[in-house]
Amino acid sequence: MGHPLTIAPANHSPLAGESIGVADWRGVPPSLAGESTERATVDLAVTPGRVLGLIGPAGSGLTSMGISLVAAATTIEPVAVLDERGWFCPSVAWEAGIGPERLVVVRCSDRSLWPKVAATLLEGFAAVYAEVPRHVPDQVLRRLGSLARSRGVGVVLRAMSGDLPAGLLYLRIERATVRWDGVANGHGRLERRALSIKASGKGAKGTERYLEVTDDGANAVHLVPGLAVAPSGRAVG
Amino acid sequence: MGVVVAADLLAFEAGVGIGMRRREAEALCPTATTLIADPGAEAVAFEPVVAAVESLVPRVEIAHPGLAFVPIAGAVRYYGNELALVSRVEVEVASLIGTGVHIGVADGPFGARMAAIQAADGPVLVKNTVTFLADLDISVIGITELVDTFRWLGISTLGDLSELPRAAIASRFGPSGLAAHRVASGEDRPVHPRPIPEGYAVEERFDPPLEDLERAAFAARNLSARLLDGLMPRGGMPYLIEVEAVSADGDVRARTWRSSHPFSEAELAERIRWQLRAWVESGGVPGGIRRLRVVPGDISDRGRQLRLDEDVTSQEDARRALIRLQSLVGPDAVLQAIPQGGRDPADKIAWYRWGEKPAAPERDPAAPWPGAIPGQAPALSTRTPISIEWEAGFPTRVRLGSRWEEVLSWAGPWRRTGRWWEGQPSADRYQVVTSAGAFLCEVVEGEAFVTGVYD
Repeated sequence: MGHPLTIAPANHSPLAGESIGVADWRGVPPSLAGESTERATVDLAVTPGRVLGLIGPAGSGLTSMGISLVAAATTIEPVAVLDERGWFCPSVAWEAGIGPERLVVVRCSDRSLWPKVAATLLEGFAAVYAEVPRHVPDQVLRRLGSLARSRGVGVVLRAMSGDLPAGLLYLRIERATVRWDGVANGHGRLERRALSIKASGKGAKGTERYLEVTDDGANAVHLVPGLAVAPSGRAVG
Repeated sequence: MGVVVAADLLAFEAGVGIGMRRREAEALCPTATTLIADPGAEAVAFEPVVAAVESLVPRVEIAHPGLAFVPIAGAVRYYGNELALVSRVEVEVASLIGTGVHIGVADGPFGARMAAIQAADGPVLVKNTVTFLADLDISVIGITELVDTFRWLGISTLGDLSELPRAAIASRFGPSGLAAHRVASGEDRPVHPRPIPEGYAVEERFDPPLEDLERAAFAARNLSARLLDGLMPRGGMPYLIEVEAVSADGDVRARTWRSSHPFSEAELAERIRWQLRAWVESGGVPGGIRRLRVVPGDISDRGRQLRLDEDVTSQEDARRALIRLQSLVGPDAVLQAIPQGGRDPADKIAWYRWGEKPAAPERDPAAPWPGAIPGQAPALSTRTPISIEWEAGFPTRVRLGSRWEEVLSWAGPWRRTGRWWEGQPSADRYQVVTSAGAFLCEVVEGEAFVTGVYD
């Protein structure tokens, strides 16, 4: 599995702006931070003004990952979730460390209202997880990205379908494969998910990198080292 | 919580007192009916009383439902003397509510309130407010820590306090001590009202006219937020607001609410909501409210200051954003949740509207809940029909969108027995893993649904 490092809340993180190879961003004590530091893989910290994007179908594990990233962005301030389908289950946020009193879920299925709702959230919150409905113009998303940067809001965007525009995202995370452990022929239960992701953009040093994120449903999400290799060396952005 | 805040005469005679624990009060008076305090309903009930007083003296200020202050300097000249005025008010109010009217007259609201408390046997007209206050127990100040310290120092009455040098009290106890000294000395209302600048009043028009309480509560929150948005950047906070409504028939109703401290936004919204509810339920605004206007008064320059350890700014920004969002997407779409017990992921969440108080969870989250789905919760909760292919009782393929996905592995079923006596069928729940992801499925009477996505 590797050695966990801490991503503390972004404002105080010793790793903010620094890249990591192995990470637990759900509050492992900082004393573990000295165990291992692998350089220059992917910077997953949602710091003020950063926009991260998640691309992949429902069932990929990207919602849990996105919420965990937003949870690490702040431990004090309220966090907003913009729920496009009305499916969001707050248990996943509570498990990620966002207390019920800090979490607000805003449901907006009206695509014409979505940009206004998203912009209002960016004006009021320090950390926002937003589902992006299909057919939102790139221009709107770019303007929202610029608003997030100017207001210093950490944002994770989850595309409901298709892609997010290039140049908007600090880090683009795309699902490659997902594997579940714990169930077989009617026995057991879902225990651990291994999600392979493809990270690209500025946060991945301009290179496509493959990583595996494991989520054991406990209090930790780990990035597994060894896969952090750019397959083709192509540059992004 | 769980203490007596009001009781009728019979209950008092049975030994019930304000502040007594509910259980103790019910033991003393077992035949009494216990009602849960509802300030909104109290405002509705108090509205006719205020209207009656206002028919005799203008500019009634409501502190809270059940307590109103009336400046009587002008009215005394009209009615001849204080006693004549007070008698008219007493008769007018008694004709509405019968006995139990407490009227006190003094220099300033604090003295008048203290006099009213003692007015069980008829109105108390205080001639010399300072002398009257001097005999009162120090506890009437109402700040427990301050009262305890005063007692420890041997200051047991307001008279003892007023005899001490004000500078020494201010130096030792700060602003709250200074305020207490002023009150004890008969110098009520330390606020020095400034003229109300134009442009701070906020108003909202309603088309169709506002008649239901849901919209009234929403309008109250919106108006209070806008009012304070205008005042706070200048450090101003209102001690008094005038709520003015124009009905669909063109009638104009206005009511003034006062507070002993600057209104916070929640308090402001609460007062406006109470007033609207009182008007709507008493039929005071025939045809509904067409226009609503809130005018701040007695603006203090003592706006709320942030403590160094208090990150109120971010909370305030979030709150304003959410109020705007409520007007954009409606209050039912801006939600918070608390955990509760249950066997299905959706059952374990109790949603409530942001800005409202969550109800106590219906089901205990700490209870064992046999039959609940073990392990981590799905990130998405839905109820979408899904096609599943079965072979020898095993799920083999599921249809996701337009394509079929092979079931790689699965677990279950976890059976949930429905309330058969109410005709609710049983359901079998399965965790199904495909190459696209993992899903929680439910099979009810041969029909399959996705109820959760492990996203």
